[in-house]
Amino acid sequence: MISSKNLQFSYSSQKHFTFPDISCSNNETLLILGQSGKGKTTLLHLLALLLRPQSGEIFLAGSNVTDLSPSEITSVRAKNIGIIFQKAHFAGSLSVMDNILLPNYFGGKKEDREKAVFLAEELGFAEHLSKKTTQLSQGEQQRVSIARALMNNPNVILADEPTSSLDDVNCQKVIELLKKQSALIGASLVVVTHDQRLKDEFANQVHL
Amino acid sequence: MNILKLSLANLKEKKLNSFLSALLLTLGIGMISLLLLLNKQLDEQFRRNIRGIDMVVGAKGSPLQLILSSIYQIDAPTGNVPLAEVNTLKRNPFVKTVIPLSMGDNYQGYRIVGTTAKYAEHFQAKVISGKLFQESMDVTLGSKVAGILGLKLGDTFASSHGMDAEGEKHGDKKYKVVGIFEATGSVVDQLILTSLSSVWDIHEHAEAGSEAHGDSVHSESSEMPHEEEKQITSALIQFRNPMGLITLPRQINENTSMQAALPSIEINRLFSLLGIGIETLQALALIIISIAGVSVFISLYNSLKERKYEMALMLSMGATRTKLFFMLLMEGLMLAVIGYVAGITISRLGLLLFSKAAEQDFHYSVKEFNLLPEELYLFVAALIIGLLAAALPSLGIYKLNISRTLAEE
Repeated sequence: MISSKNLQFSYSSQKHFTFPDISCSNNETLLILGQSGKGKTTLLHLLALLLRPQSGEIFLAGSNVTDLSPSEITSVRAKNIGIIFQKAHFAGSLSVMDNILLPNYFGGKKEDREKAVFLAEELGFAEHLSKKTTQLSQGEQQRVSIARALMNNPNVILADEPTSSLDDVNCQKVIELLKKQSALIGASLVVVTHDQRLKDEFANQVHL
Repeated sequence: MNILKLSLANLKEKKLNSFLSALLLTLGIGMISLLLLLNKQLDEQFRRNIRGIDMVVGAKGSPLQLILSSIYQIDAPTGNVPLAEVNTLKRNPFVKTVIPLSMGDNYQGYRIVGTTAKYAEHFQAKVISGKLFQESMDVTLGSKVAGILGLKLGDTFASSHGMDAEGEKHGDKKYKVVGIFEATGSVVDQLILTSLSSVWDIHEHAEAGSEAHGDSVHSESSEMPHEEEKQITSALIQFRNPMGLITLPRQINENTSMQAALPSIEINRLFSLLGIGIETLQALALIIISIAGVSVFISLYNSLKERKYEMALMLSMGATRTKLFFMLLMEGLMLAVIGYVAGITISRLGLLLFSKAAEQDFHYSVKEFNLLPEELYLFVAALIIGLLAAALPSLGIYKLNISRTLAEE
C-alpha cells in the first residue's frame, strides 16, 4: 500500500505544486487524472521516491519513507516499487529476456527466469524473448515494461501515462493486463494519466 | 546478469566504435611490443657474439664493416692482410689469443670460414657428431647449416666463390663434411668452418704441397712454408690485459698495413644509429596509443549521452551509481585488454615475419616469443589508459538527475 500526506514540490518559485492526499491499499487501484502541466509526472516521481518532496510525507507498506538516505531509498524502491513509464525504454544492447531480468539483478535478487517466461506468456510476447527490444511494436514494448515492473513482486506499481502512445485496442489490453497482474501479486496499482479512455476503468479516482 | 555481461553487451551494440578504439590500441601496443622484442633480441644477438673479442684486425676500410664481416658474418670483408703481419701480433705481450679468419667462399649462401680450432673454442661450440676439421678440405658444419642443407657426415660439396650462392663454382675441389657442431646460439651455427689451408688450397691451385701441412695451422706454428705470401681476411684478438686496448689499436693503425677495430665501440655506434629510428617509432606508437585513449573517451562519452535514459532507468530499478560507474569503466578496461592481447599477438606475428626475412638475408633468426617484463608494464599502461579514458566520461553518472532524465523523454 502507498499513501501521501500534504505533498508539496516546487521546481522554482513560479512552478509550485501542492498535491491532494492520496491513498491506495493493497489489491486496490487508483487513477490520478490531470491535464498536462498539472504535475502528474512530478507526483509519480515523488511517490516513486525519485524526487524528494519539499514538505509532506509518503508512507509505503506501512512505514514512513520520506526521510530515508539515498542508498536506503534505492533499496526500498528496488524492493517495493515497480514503475512503468509513458514510453517504454530499455537497455538497447540487451535482449527482451535480459531486460526483464534487470530488476532482479539491480534489486539484488536471484534471476527468476521461470517468472519471466510466465509473465511473457501471460502478457503475450513469449515468442519475442530473445529479440532486441527495438524489434517489438510499441504495444508489445509497453507489455514488456509491465513484465519488468512485476519481476520483483513489488508492493506498489506506479504507471506514468502507460497508454497514451497506444491505440484503443492496445490501450484496453494493456490496462486490463496491468489490473490483472497487480491483483495477482496483491499490489497497489497507481496510474497517472490524462488519457480519458481510462476514466471508466477505475473506481477510485483523484483529479489534479 | 552481471556488470561484465552488461559491459560486453554495450560494446557489442557499438561494434564499429569499439572496433576503432581496440584497433588503435592494438596498433600502438603492437608497435611498442615489437620494438621491445626486436631491440632486445638484436641487442642479445650482437652482444653474445661480441663476448670475449677485444679487437679485430683486417684490411683498411670501414671499421664497422670489418666488425660486421668478421664477427657477425653479415657484411662483405674489407680485403686481405698478410698472415705474417697478423702473426707478429702474437708476439706482442698484450695479446692473449689471435684467431685468424679467412673468408671468401660460400655454399648455398652459408659462409665457409677458414680458421683454427680456437675459433670453435672461443664460441664454446662442441662437436656433437664426427670431429673437428683437421685435414685441408675437411669441414665442420654449424648446427643450422647442417639442419637446413641436410648435409651429413661424409657428404661432399663444391663451394661457390664470393658471398652469394650464385657465385662461380669451384668445381674441381670438393669439401668433405667431417663433423657437425651442436647449436650454440652464436654465429657459429650458420657457418661452415674449415682450416685456413683449405681456403688457400682452393684459391691457389698451384700450391699442391701445402695440403700436407694443413695441420700445422692449428698448432699456431710459424713453420708454414711461404708464410709471408699467405693472406687471411682478418683476425679476432683477445688481450691479456686492458692496457692492450689503449696502445695496440693505435700502433696497428699507424704502423701497419692493417686496421684495428674495437667491437664494443663499433656496435655502440651502430646501436646509437639504430636507436634514433627506434625512438622515432616509439614516439609514433605512443601517439597512436594516446589517440586510442581519446577514441575510447569519445566513444564512451557519446554512448553515455545516448544512454542517459537507460542509465536513469537502471537507477530507478535500484542500480547504484557506483555499480553503473563500474559498468562503464569495465567497457574501457575490456577495450584495453582486447587491444593489449591483440597487440601482443600482432607483435609476435611481426617478429615471425622479421625473423623469416632476417633468416633469409643474414641467416640470423630471432626466436624468443615469451612475454618480456617490459610488456607487463605495457599491460599496466594499457589498463591505466583504458581506465582514465573511461573514468572521465563515466563520472557523469554521479551527476545524472534521474527524475529529470526520465521526465524529459
